[in-house]
Amino acid sequence: MHPAPAVSLHRLSKSFAVRRPRASGLAARIKDFVAPQTRSVIAVDDLSFSIVPGERVAFIGPNGAGKSTTLKILAGILHPDRGEVRVLGMSPSRQRRSLAFRVGTVFGQRSQLWYQLPPRDTFELLRRVYEVDARTHRRRLQELVALFELSALLDTPVRQLSLGERMRCELAATLLHAPRLLFLDEPTIGLDVSAKTTIRGLLRAESEREGLTLLLTSHDTGDIERVCDRVIVIHRGRLLWDGDLSALRQRYLTTKRVTVWSDVERLALDLPGVRIVASVPFRTDVEVDVEITALGHVVDAVLRQGTLRDLVVEDAPLDVVIQTMCADAERRNHVDLASG
Amino acid sequence: MLTWPAAEKYLAFVRISLAHARRDRGELYGRAVFFTVILGVLSSLWRAAGESGLMAEAAPRTLLWYVAATEWILMSTPQLHLEIQETVRRGDVVYQLGRPISYVGAMFAEGVGMVAARAPVLGVVAFLCAFAYTGWIPPFRVLLLIAAFGLVATVLLTALDIVIGLTAFWLDDVAPVYWVWQKVLFVCGGLMMPIRLYPPVIQRFAAFTPFPSILAGPASFVLEGQAAAPGLLARDLAAWGVATAFVVGFLFRRASHALAVNGG
Repeated sequence: MHPAPAVSLHRLSKSFAVRRPRASGLAARIKDFVAPQTRSVIAVDDLSFSIVPGERVAFIGPNGAGKSTTLKILAGILHPDRGEVRVLGMSPSRQRRSLAFRVGTVFGQRSQLWYQLPPRDTFELLRRVYEVDARTHRRRLQELVALFELSALLDTPVRQLSLGERMRCELAATLLHAPRLLFLDEPTIGLDVSAKTTIRGLLRAESEREGLTLLLTSHDTGDIERVCDRVIVIHRGRLLWDGDLSALRQRYLTTKRVTVWSDVERLALDLPGVRIVASVPFRTDVEVDVEITALGHVVDAVLRQGTLRDLVVEDAPLDVVIQTMCADAERRNHVDLASG
Repeated sequence: MLTWPAAEKYLAFVRISLAHARRDRGELYGRAVFFTVILGVLSSLWRAAGESGLMAEAAPRTLLWYVAATEWILMSTPQLHLEIQETVRRGDVVYQLGRPISYVGAMFAEGVGMVAARAPVLGVVAFLCAFAYTGWIPPFRVLLLIAAFGLVATVLLTALDIVIGLTAFWLDDVAPVYWVWQKVLFVCGGLMMPIRLYPPVIQRFAAFTPFPSILAGPASFVLEGQAAAPGLLARDLAAWGVATAFVVGFLFRRASHALAVNGG
């Protein structure tokens, strides 16, 4: 039997009334003030997906794709126009308060820690806010302090902590009430490489340890690749992709970056779909469209000219994949409009 | 109905806000210095006015204690409208709404915590300055009445500041609302001198606002023969408190609804 989904969206739609730009002239401005004209903007359009407990899902798309709107609907802050939403078995818009006890949110650009005070004070405040009894809180805090290595930070004013230390405290603060579902919005923004690695590792470890469901939005592909197993891509409020990361790459990535080291000072690779992007003596970087020319043909071409010393084949970064997907969707949309 | 666990949440906000405000010493010291300067300037002003016979109805020394009390109430009040405006502008409010606590309730509790940190310090500054500039101390009962009613008035003024902050849900900038509000508060509240020294038309208008109860009421205890009746002042403050709670609740419900339907 399948477990009940942690998150389930069925044909969700949401649009906003946006004010039309102001006309010039005093009369037009007065008219605009008295009776403003609005137009409807679709933020989420017939979106459906579900997430099982314990899954780590990246929810991504370009700016204005409808990610934040969807997250706000899932948190019960926005009410959908149409469709059905269930989060941990509850209706977010009707049971927002009850749901809040079981959900946690981490926003990389927003802090819930009190700046002048040590994190311990904020943790105590959150204990009261989430109505956690003192004994449970103590035990939970001990676990998180050990896991996130916070013992040296607990009594240091937040203003004296580094960004990475603050983020670890933010995460601990969010997990104190033992939520079953975590919404993460750019959790590593502004952090250095080492702090990013720590936060990603902690998120993954906590999810595996507690069966915590993660729904992450981020423009940092490292967050997605190192924390999540599944990717949901939306564009203009519609679902573009729902599946695992490697399948996404295979489906949308026809270009590979190949670095070749050989005993030939300057390689000549005059093949269709192959473009040399950089060349230094004995090393050549090429982009290969594998739908036009198979990688084997590139290797053959190199071997015909000399000895192949080394070869590295890389996928394009995830953000390129997303851009390609969205551009593809835009093209299809234009074709539909033109033919319709 | 406010249950004990719910009340504990708001008390926790009061406590943490108090602790935070105490740590933010620069802000508190800045206010104390500003307060000292303001009272020094007003002391010279009222002395000069008294000597020229312009203020026949009140002695300069009681006037200075009066102003020390009104300024104490005003300067102890946190400007929550700025915090609410920033929260709305940055879009943080939608995330704060996701917590199992009332946003305006938490904001009010935070304000009360700030008042608890500021009022005692500024009260001591007001007392010392007024004594230093006049060489006179009002009777202990008067000081007690000013302190008790002044604290209640400060809390009411904090709640009214939340009303201004909530207009940020509809306006890009609440500063114009605040400026108008502040000027009306200064005049109708009798910030600089007792309301009875103002023209009758202003006195009549002021009677329809909460401001005389907030500033002039508690400060009037220092004025011989013009002090407010404590019972009546308590009734007025309670009535305005209830009215403010209704307005805050109404505005917040409208704002939340607008937010839920049309985003933040």
